[in-house]
Amino acid sequence: MATVMLKFKEAVIKEIPLEKETTTIGRKEDNDIHIENHAVSGHHARILREKDNFFIEDLGSLNGTFVNGFKITKQELFKGDSVLVGLHNLDFISEKVRPQDDKKSFTVRGRSMDETMVISPQDQKKILVARDKDIPEPLGGFYVLEGASDQREYELKERISTIGKEDGAAIRLKGFFTPKVAALVNRRKEGYFVTPAGGKAIKINGRDLNHRHDLKDGDIVEISGLKLQFYIKE
Amino acid sequence: MKVHAAARTDLGLVRQNNEDNYYIDETIGLFIVADGMGGHASGEIASKMTVDIIRDCFKGSGKDKPFQTGPYQKDFSEATNRLASSIRLANLAVWEASGNRPELSGMGTTIAAVQVDGNRLSIAHVGDSRVYLIRAGNIEQLTDDHSLVYEQVKRDLITKEEASRSDMKNILTRALGISNDVEVDLAEMTLAVNDILLLCSDGLSGMVDDETILSVVMTIDDPAAACEKLIAMANANGGKDNITVVIARTEKISGFKWLFLNFRRFWR
Repeated sequence: MATVMLKFKEAVIKEIPLEKETTTIGRKEDNDIHIENHAVSGHHARILREKDNFFIEDLGSLNGTFVNGFKITKQELFKGDSVLVGLHNLDFISEKVRPQDDKKSFTVRGRSMDETMVISPQDQKKILVARDKDIPEPLGGFYVLEGASDQREYELKERISTIGKEDGAAIRLKGFFTPKVAALVNRRKEGYFVTPAGGKAIKINGRDLNHRHDLKDGDIVEISGLKLQFYIKE
Repeated sequence: MKVHAAARTDLGLVRQNNEDNYYIDETIGLFIVADGMGGHASGEIASKMTVDIIRDCFKGSGKDKPFQTGPYQKDFSEATNRLASSIRLANLAVWEASGNRPELSGMGTTIAAVQVDGNRLSIAHVGDSRVYLIRAGNIEQLTDDHSLVYEQVKRDLITKEEASRSDMKNILTRALGISNDVEVDLAEMTLAVNDILLLCSDGLSGMVDDETILSVVMTIDDPAAACEKLIAMANANGGKDNITVVIARTEKISGFKWLFLNFRRFWR
């Protein structure tokens, strides 16, 4: 014999056997399962019995009827299903287990692995066990050792800073043949690096720079009359 | 400086519907990509709502004193704060819509938005949609994905190569519309002439690597043609997700036009 357990939040109110062909649920007193709550419609829903099969059907209620968190109009009930009516839960108790191929109501929105989903910060912590501390980002820049420049020190806060003649350049170079972009300095979590953009010779610690160079504290950069020293703050 | 931009979106080869949305406006320098998620087409609604709300925040207020949703961050400019504020407002709207309508429950979206104001660039993002800057033949990702694999890379648990093969790439650690509050990542930069900004959903960045994106953008000058080429490449590599690309190039305003614009500004 199948029954439903009427609960308000965690508190069990009563157990109701499903003997009749139709068991009605609602706020009005003529219902079989009478729930005195304003979130419940007068005639909210009903449970239909067809031999050994039970179905829940919404009767056009205002707030809807939900099975395991999904809004339904009519659906078959299986062992362990939880029906939400207003703020009350009706837990369905029977021997009939949901067939395995009917996965729809178990997996969230029937997702495949390809679909995007979000996890809560609590779950993230479980997965990201190791070293859950904030990684400080390095902050560094250049001191001007020799040459004419508009500043004595350049702190490089942006992800990419330009060294060149261009208007927006972080370190502005002068001179007639100076390129607009002579080099780029990238700031990343793992540190700073400089990439030549061509056009003008750049020297790092006295040697020509041809490709990406990871900047270390104290590196000397020479470019169109300027001598700069890289520094990093911890 | 003026901005010349184009955008394209594509269903991809696997998905049934396109849940991405974008918005571009060259005059106010606003560029947005949003990648929605959720069952029963609700992802489309989430991303569309978000894009529309951000757009309206900028259309409505213009240069007036902006409204403020969430905290005003003094470290950032007014333009950046307005962008952040509009995203927080969109978050509230999506969150409320998903709570009020059961068929929309659980919907959410990523957002990547930039605004160019003069030579200043404001960047805001939530989720795994990206903003890249291409300057002088180099490509740099300006946003840190809010995804589980990216967090793992940050903590040195896995390498970048392992991350690109991971089967947990689709798990986000942050998204819009999931809760009533959202942390928006903000950044600011100075732009130069001939910079290229590229915004995309993970349908592109998951299918085409950074170096390939760089080579396409460097060889095709026309933003619209470059967008189409990138979408074609993502589809050639499998097209597992919706693909959206926005490309914006900064250009120098020619002498006469500059005079004209400044003349008008002078008399206003």
